[in-house]
Amino acid sequence: MNRREFGLLSATWLAAGLPTGLRADETCQSPYMPKITGHEEFVYVWTLGVEGMGDGQDKLVTVDVRPNSPTKGTVINSVSVGGRNEAHHGGFSADRRYFWAGGLDTNRIFIFDVHSDPSQPRLHKTIETFVEDSGGVVGPHTFFALPGRMLITGLSNSDDHGGRTALVEYNDDGDYLATYWMPTADDMRGAVAVDGAVADGYGYDIRALIRKNIMLTSSFTGWSNYMMDFGQMLQDPEAMQRFGNTIVQWDLHTRQPRKVFNVPGAPLEIRFPWGSNANYAFSSTALTSQLWLIYEDDAGEWQAKAVADIGNPADIPLPVDISIAADDQTLWVNSFMDGKTRLFDVSDPHNPKQVYEKVIGPQVNMVSQSWDGQRVYFTSSLLANWDKKGEDNAQYLKAYSWDGNELVEDFEIDFNALNLGRAHIMRFGSAALYA
Amino acid sequence: MKRAALVLTIIATMAAIPFAVSREAEAPITASGLSKHFEVGDDFQYEPPEPGTYDLVAVKSAPTGQVLDTSGAQRDLGTLLNGKISLVSFVYLTCGDINGCPLAMSTLFDIYETSLMIPGLGEDVQLVTISFDPERDTVDAINSFMLPFASDAEKDQKFDWHVLTTEGQKKLAPILEGFGQVVDRGSPDGQINHLLRMYLVDRDGAIRNIYGLGQIDPRLLMGDVETLLLSEQSS
Repeated sequence: MNRREFGLLSATWLAAGLPTGLRADETCQSPYMPKITGHEEFVYVWTLGVEGMGDGQDKLVTVDVRPNSPTKGTVINSVSVGGRNEAHHGGFSADRRYFWAGGLDTNRIFIFDVHSDPSQPRLHKTIETFVEDSGGVVGPHTFFALPGRMLITGLSNSDDHGGRTALVEYNDDGDYLATYWMPTADDMRGAVAVDGAVADGYGYDIRALIRKNIMLTSSFTGWSNYMMDFGQMLQDPEAMQRFGNTIVQWDLHTRQPRKVFNVPGAPLEIRFPWGSNANYAFSSTALTSQLWLIYEDDAGEWQAKAVADIGNPADIPLPVDISIAADDQTLWVNSFMDGKTRLFDVSDPHNPKQVYEKVIGPQVNMVSQSWDGQRVYFTSSLLANWDKKGEDNAQYLKAYSWDGNELVEDFEIDFNALNLGRAHIMRFGSAALYA
Repeated sequence: MKRAALVLTIIATMAAIPFAVSREAEAPITASGLSKHFEVGDDFQYEPPEPGTYDLVAVKSAPTGQVLDTSGAQRDLGTLLNGKISLVSFVYLTCGDINGCPLAMSTLFDIYETSLMIPGLGEDVQLVTISFDPERDTVDAINSFMLPFASDAEKDQKFDWHVLTTEGQKKLAPILEGFGQVVDRGSPDGQINHLLRMYLVDRDGAIRNIYGLGQIDPRLLMGDVETLLLSEQSS
């Protein structure tokens, strides 16, 4: 029997019917994950508790965004986790049944069941031993799903609470598997420094391009800075030296670092496009306010270069979250200090052009868009000690429609008024994923 | 999509999947060369890592459970997995998703055929495919499906390929749960929504890698098998 005969044999067993149902999603998730290509039904907001506000606890807030629901645009569920942990980022497991969310201060990891009833997530498990498990990694940040496993970037370490850190891997049951320390100048772990880059060992985000077996990590800052008052840190020259200046290229399959690129000014989020021939990724630098392209050149080598300014870098707008459209043509870029979102035309990734901007609020951090790009959601909080003070400390989820020319507000939820806390990362849910 | 069109699509897809066995490789090869005998596919634009240069951490223990083979005999899955390196996959025979079971089965078929080039490796490596649709994939059904393999004159020189089913959902559920294979059966058209997964299980029953769509690359799969074999030699 040859391959074609085997194909015929298999085909005879095919029943009539459509292929496995559409599985869909916002545009910046792990590519291993089912996607919501239709209309998202719920937005989960991982929210920092504020002392004296409501129960004062971190919580996973569920907002109904079903188009015809009588409760659309309102909070329909909230699961508090029993304290404040510096709630920050989170991500779904590769089967999208569980949402893992981290606390940057306490290092707790909360695993929520979002599939049993997507409108009513419940706390399934808490990992209390992240630092001990990992051999001293602090600050579980990005949760990047692999089949059957979760790869977590750290931000810091328990020795000096600086920026040296690692990737930490767990299985989907929440059992620790391995730690992969970031390369440093003293221990490159087999990686090569490109163009004089100095490996700083820092971490932040992680994304992968499976068909290239490429994984990229970026670099932010350690516990001693992200838990410091923002104004105080800006006045501390030593603290301002403790930011990452690198992006690391890894072998996805082996988790071994290959190259260290010089990307000065704290490169944060990393986004790969979805196109089958799109061999690049974007990142933005928080301190130098630039858009960077990490790309494969004509010789098949990966490189990094700055491709655009974000606002006026001299004003330090502090770029934060970015979101790439499913067609790879545009990129939303938020900047915290001026509260703006900017849309870049990235159809030529080597020459991005800003085509639109809008002030979302006094401060803005995260942005998530639907798969069709027609709905864009924003939240407000960066870090508890970095958020603005007084009236500028607006805490919200804002939903907009995007018609290609203008963001039009659909609804807003005031997290301060509802005594919820500081709204951070958003992820979409839908019961259709589990049908 | 009508059945006929769908069938043609699947046939065309399977015939076109580019990681066919390299027929240029005529020279005798060793176990450590197995992964190099597959051509590069368009979906896999990388040079796979060199076997033995990386670690495969034990993810968790593979579950045990009662399964049925093509003769209808009850088999203990744990016993079946014990002693050999296994590539375990979950499929259902009427799957209509070209990126699902047909992709998995065609890749396994390539590996099965290629195993002929390494006489004796079948003592160390086997393929295990379990249906997650026991109501339709009965013993008779899987037996019929595997008939051409039973009459394969060279089958004794290739990997064993165990295609298995179960008595029903009660027997199946703990196996799926133990591996972490997600299956949703709510589709009114009888199709079963599932995430494509393959599992590399070592001789001691530990899951050493889990593969999803985009990783069903025979070079990668067999490179990991080689890595396990090399780690056994060095330990």
